[in-house]
Amino acid sequence: MSEQFSRRDFLKLAGVGAATTAILTGCGPASRYVKREPYMQMPEYNYNGQSTYYATTCRECAAGCGLVVRTSQGRAIKTEGNANHPLNLGKTCARGQATLQGLYNPDRVTNPMKRASRGADSTQAMDWEAAIQAVADALKNNKPEEIAFLMGMAPDHLFDLVTDLAKATGMNAPVRFGALGMFDARATLSKAAENLFGQASLPFFDVGGAQVVFSFGANFLETWLSPVSYTRGFAGLREAQTKQRGKFVQFESRMSMTGGKADEWLPLRPGTEALVALAIGRLAAEILGGSMPRVFASVDPKDAATKSGIKLETLEHLAEMFASSNGALAIPGGAALGQSNGLAVAEAVLALNALSGNFGKPGGVYLSALAPNQTEYNRPASAREMQALVQNMFDGKIKVLFVHGVNPLFELPASLEFGGASKYVSQIISFASFPDETAREADFIFPDHHGLESWGYQRVATGSAQPVLSGAQPVVSPYYNTRATADVLIAAAQLAGGSFAAALPFKDEVEFLQSKIASLMSEADGSISGPDIATFMAYFQQHGGYWKLTDGRGAPSAEDMLNRTIAAEEAEFAGEGEFFFVPFVSPTLAEAGANKPWLQELADPTTTVMWNTWVEMNSETAHELGIENDDMVKIVSEAGELEAPVYVYPAIRPDTIAMPFGQGHTAFGRYAEGRGVNPADLLGSHFNEAGDLAFAGMKVKVTKTGEKKLLSRLESVMGVYGIGLGEEK
Amino acid sequence: MATLADLKISEVKLSEEQTGKWGMVIDQDICTGCQACVAACAMENNLSFVGEVDSGYGRSMHWIRIERFWEGAYPEVKMTPNQPMMCQQCGSAPCEPVCPAYATMHSQAEQLNLQVYNRCVGTRYCANNCPYQVRSFNWRDYERPEPLSNQLNPDVTVRRRGVMEKCTFCIQRIHKAQDKAKSEGREVVDGEFTTACAQACPANAITFGRVDDPESLVSQLAHRGHGVKHLEELGALPSVTYFKGG
Repeated sequence: MSEQFSRRDFLKLAGVGAATTAILTGCGPASRYVKREPYMQMPEYNYNGQSTYYATTCRECAAGCGLVVRTSQGRAIKTEGNANHPLNLGKTCARGQATLQGLYNPDRVTNPMKRASRGADSTQAMDWEAAIQAVADALKNNKPEEIAFLMGMAPDHLFDLVTDLAKATGMNAPVRFGALGMFDARATLSKAAENLFGQASLPFFDVGGAQVVFSFGANFLETWLSPVSYTRGFAGLREAQTKQRGKFVQFESRMSMTGGKADEWLPLRPGTEALVALAIGRLAAEILGGSMPRVFASVDPKDAATKSGIKLETLEHLAEMFASSNGALAIPGGAALGQSNGLAVAEAVLALNALSGNFGKPGGVYLSALAPNQTEYNRPASAREMQALVQNMFDGKIKVLFVHGVNPLFELPASLEFGGASKYVSQIISFASFPDETAREADFIFPDHHGLESWGYQRVATGSAQPVLSGAQPVVSPYYNTRATADVLIAAAQLAGGSFAAALPFKDEVEFLQSKIASLMSEADGSISGPDIATFMAYFQQHGGYWKLTDGRGAPSAEDMLNRTIAAEEAEFAGEGEFFFVPFVSPTLAEAGANKPWLQELADPTTTVMWNTWVEMNSETAHELGIENDDMVKIVSEAGELEAPVYVYPAIRPDTIAMPFGQGHTAFGRYAEGRGVNPADLLGSHFNEAGDLAFAGMKVKVTKTGEKKLLSRLESVMGVYGIGLGEEK
Repeated sequence: MATLADLKISEVKLSEEQTGKWGMVIDQDICTGCQACVAACAMENNLSFVGEVDSGYGRSMHWIRIERFWEGAYPEVKMTPNQPMMCQQCGSAPCEPVCPAYATMHSQAEQLNLQVYNRCVGTRYCANNCPYQVRSFNWRDYERPEPLSNQLNPDVTVRRRGVMEKCTFCIQRIHKAQDKAKSEGREVVDGEFTTACAQACPANAITFGRVDDPESLVSQLAHRGHGVKHLEELGALPSVTYFKGG
């Protein structure tokens, strides 16, 4: 050993014994059915200072990304992406990262409880026996058709459990809803696929393999369908080492974070998306030669140019770009579909893909792979289907409503009157982990574990070429006196007896899970297989799920697609007022991120605003109206009104205002409550043909109130001596 | 007599010859501005959140932030390529010579710009002198209500009021990987570990590694030719190379 051996090196060597090894474990602190034997060698999680890593599935949205969570001495320390998971390949979004702030949120529901009266703060703690008895009574003492389940878009295993229960007992089939599904306009996409391809399905757009991408309103880099997977696709589009750098064009009235990455951003007049798509199709077909496809024949590009506000030369240039590329892809999504003519928009944009001939080809449109234990695509309920549920509640047809994983009082437009209808439901039982708005109006809260404390699985609906069933396991023991909703339902069904007990003949949630995945054990092309269910289950947990090693995507049939006619009328707008109103999902908060302080403190990608709601208004318009940054305005729609401060935004049409969805909670814990406003309060009950809410089909009035509310923002205050909130102006 | 320019060249040479130098390449063309890196950094490095009012004063603890600027006017308005900005781990850091307490200094072992929290007396001179404006100061002891503290990373110091902090290139991960490699009698392999931001980035816009190793991915990328270093003319010798994109 030389003199150069420093103290630091010595300390490093001394620390070598404690060096970590990242080994994924299948049996963790909450394992069940594990035979306990004395250790010959202690497992790594028994050593102080060593981390243990568990694979599970992210629950921050329904996409189903695989996570690997680092734990240390029984605490979850950091979430990372699961590098082997086909959907996200080791990556996460900001919400996936912040999931620990949900797990260790100071405002979780800690005990089962009964509320003194709906909306009241005072609650009475219960024990789980009484809670399970209450659920059993609710099941037993009501007719099956009077019992309804309202569930979120995740997790799928619980949805399967309730579906089985409903099928066996005659209960209403569970209804699934989520604001993301509504703002994604999933019902419209699925209906368009059904109309054009003959099969209801979630189309998958292979952005990564394309050369030119035209997106009509799809916010695929933000919250749309599967953001991590689509972001990887976008990186592939831009990759210029092995191919030419791909071009990206975005059509939308307000520049989204996705639109900010576009080479060409085209602020068309809201409601003219179908016209523009067909006009580009017609011009491109003219360039390509041959007979004019019927679908494009009736549109007049000049007329489309006038109505949309995009110059005819621009349309021609775009058509040239589309026609001359050998990998052009068109994506319909987001606000473009959330209008009265949304279905026509989706069909018109998909027809562009038929022209490009990209169906089932790299860089084109596929039918998403169905998950391994799935036979057909189940989409979440559209807003119109939610309206039907609300009507049933009003009519007294529903006596008991169970709510899990969704917060309808916040996520549904107020005009659908879920709150009013709930008064006609005798009993509402919420399984919420957080004290959200709906839980506040419930009679009982029987809190489920946080996603990181839970068993389960989630089917990957889209975003991966391989069929994926993403597996979840507890990475830490439950922190509070919560219980898995599946366990509660299984126990309650046993208590209720009869067909309920027969429907769920399981000891607990894990046995139910095993029954659901057992059929995959010996299937060919699986990522894992096992000789018996216990081994298979251990692999399932260890690897974070089960996936096929083959491409499960389908090729849509493009027959007759170009021979259809699509009504290219402009959308209709509800309400009076000088401004189009565009609500969009906050890219950082999404539907349920507002209670996580670090998500609140992330700067919005386009405006850099933190911790609040703003209204985006075009700079020129604001100037004309005498409105400056941070001036409060009152927005009045046909359905409601609210006040919020203006962010003067250079990248929005002068006749449009936009607001993020995600804030405006009246419950949901200290970080969310009383912060900002909820644009869903402004939305009327208008639907498109597919039943999706026409959320982008409103016109509103805007007036300056004279007050100011200083927005906290990252821009212009970079560094430590900037100006900012509270500064004298 | 040696001019200032000559000095710079000799420093560059010196810096390139340094062994153990870590660096980053960031592709602004594919960065979508999604904030996953910012959240990942906050979770890994025990960053405090400061709340609405303090963040409005510019006191938020972002070790990495994503800058975007506007070009042109509506309708020809464009967002400039998103620019993740964090401590550039300068080879000749302007923050270092101004610290009276030797709290911010150059590490010979890792070729990083260190922040030694228990030496910092909070003069904030370093933040004043940082051309990249990437240092954040703990103006208060920010509240972290129980049980939020359960997620604190045991490998990273929790900072208190009056202390300056900034991106460390996840030095705890560097050390962990080096320890592991040493215990196995080998060198750290390129790509064996990465920083929290690079690990999370869904677009893979951030690449981290040894820039003194010509074989490493980060070196190969950095020498592609179209990379730039921000404010290079200041001669701070930043370790982060950006691809402008567009």
